Amino acid sequence: MRRRFVGSLIAALFAASPLYAQQTGQITGRVTSADGGRALPGATVTVSGQTLRAVTGPEGRYTISGVRPGEHQVTATVIGHTAATLPVSVLAGQAATANFSLQPSALALQGVVAIGYGEQRARDRTGSVQTVTPEQFNTGRVVTAEQLIQGKVAGVQVNDTGEPGGRGNIRIRGGTSVNASNEPLFVVDGVPLQAGGGIVSGRGAFSGNPNEIGDTRNPLAFLNPNDIESVTVLKDASATAIYGSRGANGVILITTRSGARGAQFTYSTSLSTSRVARQAELLSTDQFRSAVQQYAASNVALLGNASTDWRQEVEQNAGGQEHNLAVAGTGQAMNYRLSLGYLDQTGVLRGTDTRRFSGAANYNQQLFSNQLRLRANVRGSRIVDHFTPAGVLGSAFSYAPTQPTTNADGTFFEWADANAPNNPLADLALVRDRQNQFRTLGNLEANYDPSFFKGFTGTVRAGYDYNQIDRTIFNPIAVRGSSGSVTRREPSRLGTVLDLFGRYARALDGLDSNVDVTGGYSYESTRDEYPVYVATGLFSDVTGPNGSIQANSERNDLSVQEWRLASFFGRMNWNLKDRYLLTLSVRRDGSSRFGPSHQWGTFPSAAFAWRLSEEPFFPTLGPLSEVKLRASYGVNGNQDFLNYLWVSSYETGLSTAQAQFGNGFVSTIRPSAVDPDIKWEETTSYNLGLDYGLWNGRITGTIDYYDKRTEDLIFSVPVAAGTNLSNFVTTNIGSMKNRGLELGLNARVLEGRGGGLSWDASLNAATNRNRLVRINSVGGVERFLAGGISGGVGSNIQVLQPGAPVYSFFVYEHIRDANGKPIYADTNNDGTINENDLYRDLNGDGQVTEADRRALHSPAAKWILGHTSTFSLGSWDASTTLRAYLGNYAYNNVASNLGYYGLLKGGAPRNLSTSVLETGFQTAQYFSEVYVEDASFLRMDNLTLGYTFNGIRGVDNMRLYGTVQNVFTLTGYSGVDPLGGVNGVDNNVYPRSRTFSAGVSLAF
Amino acid sequence: MTTRTWRVLACGAAAVLFLGAQACTDVTLEPESTVTGSNVFNDPASYKAFLAKLYAGLAVTGQEGPAGKGDIQGIDEGFSQYVRLIWQMEELPTDEAVIAWNDDGVQQLNTQLWGSSNQFLGAMYSRIFFQVSLANEFLRETTDERLSSRNAGAELRATIKQYRAEARFMRALSYWHAIDLFGDVPLVDETFPLGKTAPPQSTRADVYRFVVSELNAIRGDLPAAHTAEYGRADQGASQMLLAKVLMNAPVYVNENHNAEALAALQTVLGGAYTLDPNYRHLFLADNHTSPELIFPVPQDGKHTQSYGGTTFLIHASVGGDMNPASWGIDGGWWGLRVKPEILQVYPGGINSSDVRSTVFFTQNQTVAINDITAFQQGLAAPKYRNVTSTGAAGSDPGFTDTDYPMFRLGDAYLMYAELVLRGGGGTRAQALAYVNALRQRSYGNATGNITDAQLTLDFILDERARELLWEGHRRTDLIRYNRFTTNGVWAFKGGPKAGKTTESFRNLYPLPATELVTNPNLKQNPGY
Repeated sequence: MRRRFVGSLIAALFAASPLYAQQTGQITGRVTSADGGRALPGATVTVSGQTLRAVTGPEGRYTISGVRPGEHQVTATVIGHTAATLPVSVLAGQAATANFSLQPSALALQGVVAIGYGEQRARDRTGSVQTVTPEQFNTGRVVTAEQLIQGKVAGVQVNDTGEPGGRGNIRIRGGTSVNASNEPLFVVDGVPLQAGGGIVSGRGAFSGNPNEIGDTRNPLAFLNPNDIESVTVLKDASATAIYGSRGANGVILITTRSGARGAQFTYSTSLSTSRVARQAELLSTDQFRSAVQQYAASNVALLGNASTDWRQEVEQNAGGQEHNLAVAGTGQAMNYRLSLGYLDQTGVLRGTDTRRFSGAANYNQQLFSNQLRLRANVRGSRIVDHFTPAGVLGSAFSYAPTQPTTNADGTFFEWADANAPNNPLADLALVRDRQNQFRTLGNLEANYDPSFFKGFTGTVRAGYDYNQIDRTIFNPIAVRGSSGSVTRREPSRLGTVLDLFGRYARALDGLDSNVDVTGGYSYESTRDEYPVYVATGLFSDVTGPNGSIQANSERNDLSVQEWRLASFFGRMNWNLKDRYLLTLSVRRDGSSRFGPSHQWGTFPSAAFAWRLSEEPFFPTLGPLSEVKLRASYGVNGNQDFLNYLWVSSYETGLSTAQAQFGNGFVSTIRPSAVDPDIKWEETTSYNLGLDYGLWNGRITGTIDYYDKRTEDLIFSVPVAAGTNLSNFVTTNIGSMKNRGLELGLNARVLEGRGGGLSWDASLNAATNRNRLVRINSVGGVERFLAGGISGGVGSNIQVLQPGAPVYSFFVYEHIRDANGKPIYADTNNDGTINENDLYRDLNGDGQVTEADRRALHSPAAKWILGHTSTFSLGSWDASTTLRAYLGNYAYNNVASNLGYYGLLKGGAPRNLSTSVLETGFQTAQYFSEVYVEDASFLRMDNLTLGYTFNGIRGVDNMRLYGTVQNVFTLTGYSGVDPLGGVNGVDNNVYPRSRTFSAGVSLAF
Repeated sequence: MTTRTWRVLACGAAAVLFLGAQACTDVTLEPESTVTGSNVFNDPASYKAFLAKLYAGLAVTGQEGPAGKGDIQGIDEGFSQYVRLIWQMEELPTDEAVIAWNDDGVQQLNTQLWGSSNQFLGAMYSRIFFQVSLANEFLRETTDERLSSRNAGAELRATIKQYRAEARFMRALSYWHAIDLFGDVPLVDETFPLGKTAPPQSTRADVYRFVVSELNAIRGDLPAAHTAEYGRADQGASQMLLAKVLMNAPVYVNENHNAEALAALQTVLGGAYTLDPNYRHLFLADNHTSPELIFPVPQDGKHTQSYGGTTFLIHASVGGDMNPASWGIDGGWWGLRVKPEILQVYPGGINSSDVRSTVFFTQNQTVAINDITAFQQGLAAPKYRNVTSTGAAGSDPGFTDTDYPMFRLGDAYLMYAELVLRGGGGTRAQALAYVNALRQRSYGNATGNITDAQLTLDFILDERARELLWEGHRRTDLIRYNRFTTNGVWAFKGGPKAGKTTESFRNLYPLPATELVTNPNLKQNPGY
């Protein structure tokens, strides 16, 4: 079959030119699925009675050249869909168009969705599951995979950072936890990525504790987005319960590409350039100078004559390029795909870049008349990152614009005052912060259908995930205020997984039912090693990060951690009359994160769906063509936090934390405070859903309502003094609620036939209400401050408080004058301006204290809207993605931290936020509600225009496209980025860019 | 189903059960890179290391100096250092000190307008009870029973006997701070089980009596005054502490124990300690050589690093026109100055022939304060230095070598004089001799000496301010003299720039709001 196909392809190529001379025509078009309109790559298109044929490319497009003029029957076939034939009349020298919309074929061959340890027909799904396929993916500068689905799925928030490869966050239906992770579980080809996905600290200060692995690199950074076949989001508990103790935050299943039909090379490349989209608003040089004259006259003498825009000095136009090459093919009973990728992306801040080399191989083999199917997958990538030194952006904001970047002798200008910020250009030039990461992930899977046991498939899957990093930070002596340091960390993690499961499916004809049962066992383990070397007080800079000739102090640490998870799971799907669908599942997990008496937990779920439109009484008239009602219940867990929390241990002290006994120093040991009875967080969820279709699927939509309640929140909580060995213990306390509504709508607004204008539009909307119900065992009113800000050490701007959304801002109510302007005056005439003058005394005790702060507004959006439109006209296509957040608030920390004239005093006047021009504050007012702003926005994330070339000899498919990302953002928020910062604290966040890119993809 | 089908199923089930019974369901893992409670005391050196942590709890903030793996949470680790916290509690609300910074809650310490959620109060309370809990755990782990189970030899047992007394001293010290600052607190000792059950609230009197009885009980197990290794407690430290507790008994329990206080003080006045001939040496990087220190909190630029203690005191008191190198540090933090009113205790003015009046730095510093947050308003008093008596800089410009003089003989002299004046016994002549000994040291000759007629309680209070400026005694002294709240006015006290009197409930700090929730047995101090 393959040989014949290749042969005919070659024949067609050779034949092409003479046939042109004979005045032949072309047939072009696109093959899509009637179910949602997605493109169908790999479909075969044949012309009846001739040897001419073509295979559709990634966009579902095909071209057949050299067709004799006249009437032809053209047929498109692809697995999983019913073949369709169209009559086409071909004119000499012209291209006729034949677009196919294939109906998904019935029963077993129908479109399937991944559901975790198996697949399910899309129409049979009972839970809230949504799949995003490549033609829906965002295009342009896409460094990490989650950006592919940004704005595409209702209830899924993808908040990326402006830093290439930097960690954003993904929230599916709001967060369920406070101290444990809120990130979903990622499963790549059946292999779960480890908790949080990564193991490395990113930028920012080195905490010194190798066990505190705050990962700021993206867990998906290793994965080449071009290798992805589909991304499936499991949202409700009935869908995620099969992942038991890790499913509480939803699950994202990523399926990578495998061999298509026929040998095919694809190559795609793109080039991009990015600029900072919006800068922080700071005083101009003139404004700054006059402010110093007015408020800190004694410092006028310190001012220089330069006019430096420090923001621009640390920014750059960021270039990016990407190349992907893949070859895929099929044989007698096998298929394969090999791919190579290269990505090089610089950041819009100087000093940032990331480069990724990736390779992947996928091989599928069928043996023994397809009784045994083997699937092997291996991928690896090497990522080289350079990070902008911490503090550069902050210094660039606060550095006085009157000062020159360099002195007359060419050295960097620096203030004499020790407390002044460092010249950001000096830090950029001197500090080195580099990371190399090697990660490889692979699995081997065997599926066996024994001939003697009809309906049964046994699966064995073994996978591994190895991640190795080395990070080097070099702070030379030449940096002002540095005694010189080299920090080197080389964390590594090896994870392995073994899954054994079987599926038994059979029709129960007597009951008019289909039943399918899956059961199995899974065993996962990881071993982490964290060697750390820190040398401080360097003798010299000459060896750079590569050595420490002689250091004042050197520190070596090694810590090893292991984790294990053993699980049994089962699921049953029962389909009665193709109308009533029942799914039951259960998973029992045992995790090493808990003590022996609390290791095992059981996570059940049940879901029911009713395909109302299949009922005989369902009216066939009217536009309603499909209605399905869904209801589900399930319990999930969350165990994504540190290992060994249950074990009482003695922490040994370093040589810098000793006690002096006589003339010597004694190292110390400290017992740790633990709760040996710590256990999982449990989230119980309910989901009600409606799927509907109008006009035979021209419009389809879903509506989901959910209610999630998390109990036994794992919380680091204060304990009564004297009862344990520290003031905080990590234990199970508290509960949280999330309720929400999700709407999804897809419409084929225009169905351009024969190359006419077609327009597919999708719209999603989600609202989520989060409320912390309880955070302590005794039930009193208690709050924890959270959300650290710049400005005063240990200052927090957010609160965790029962009854309020998590991370609500916690502020004073600023008294305003008649014009609504926050006051700044000695209103009580006590000779000083302080809280008592400026803020409302809410509890009426005659003075303003912390007790007068209150929870006000939440950083979480009340509504999140997403819209995608895809247009095509002939060979042109265009698409755009819009996203809006409504009712989210942000704390403008740049404005509060640089928002008072007092900063002009001291040994080095700092530049100020323009907010000071309105407020007139002379002292810092970090906790004023003035800085909590409505950060609702509408953003056009993506605008793409593409053109597909047909009829190029030797090329099956070629598409050229251009994309603009972050086309515009409409917002009333005064800061840099309404989505900047963790949980709405906008503090010197990596600037978001506007990106222009152009690319070409070729299949041949 | 056919028989064969059943057989396959049975085999599959057996396989799963077999796997289930074996290692595949064993998910228990214990840490490999840390020492666990079950094996730590197999090494006898662990007892000393644990005891060292009790002392280190006063000096550092966690297991990774200067910061990292902090002992207590809920506050920036650098803020959580014991000496830094208690110094701020004792000095900032008084006329002796003011701090410029904006860290959440610190300004309320300047003005006495703190509330129960103030992070510094919470951290102080947690730090005190961290010490108490650690001492309790030490005592639990070193009972005869435990030692027998570990086959401890006679020599080890004898050593541990002294260790236990030291642990009880450290616990008594922290409980004294607890009742002095917070009043009625829970009394938790080693018989209290470790766990989640919140302890009942005890009265200030209960805890006071516990501290007194503990200090009396351990005396015999401690080395004689000034014979312990430097940095460790001996009878000098325990009797000095006892004297301080008893001397303040009128405040704590409304009882007069001045005679017992004076008796306890005799241990340190008996000649084991002598006045340092050079007053300034007490605050320098080599002050560990001073013969006057009774109980220091040792600091070291290499081995005992934190952002508290004298590292805080020296850095925070340097700023403005000062050259940080002269203080042996890498840069000032522009924080601490004095409120204008304290200058009234220097009748000869500052920079007079009294060496104690020369600790001030005046260049470009105004006396008056309009803006608390402006470092150059208010005179600076950078008394502590990270420089040795020979002028050499300390071992590290970032972390100081200067030890914090928690208890010293000069203090004991003034306590003696005050106790005499308060009718605790002793003689006025001896009291006058002690006071004049301090004044002679300060003036270099007898010109500063006072007469018996000048020896009054008011004089003692002012002399304490001069002698012990910024040594963490002022609040307790003012309360003993009833001049902290309803009497005495200084800048920003109660809020206004001019200051005003405050209500008497502010003689106690509130119990932390967090604590009231986690321990429902607690009742808040009146007024809060």
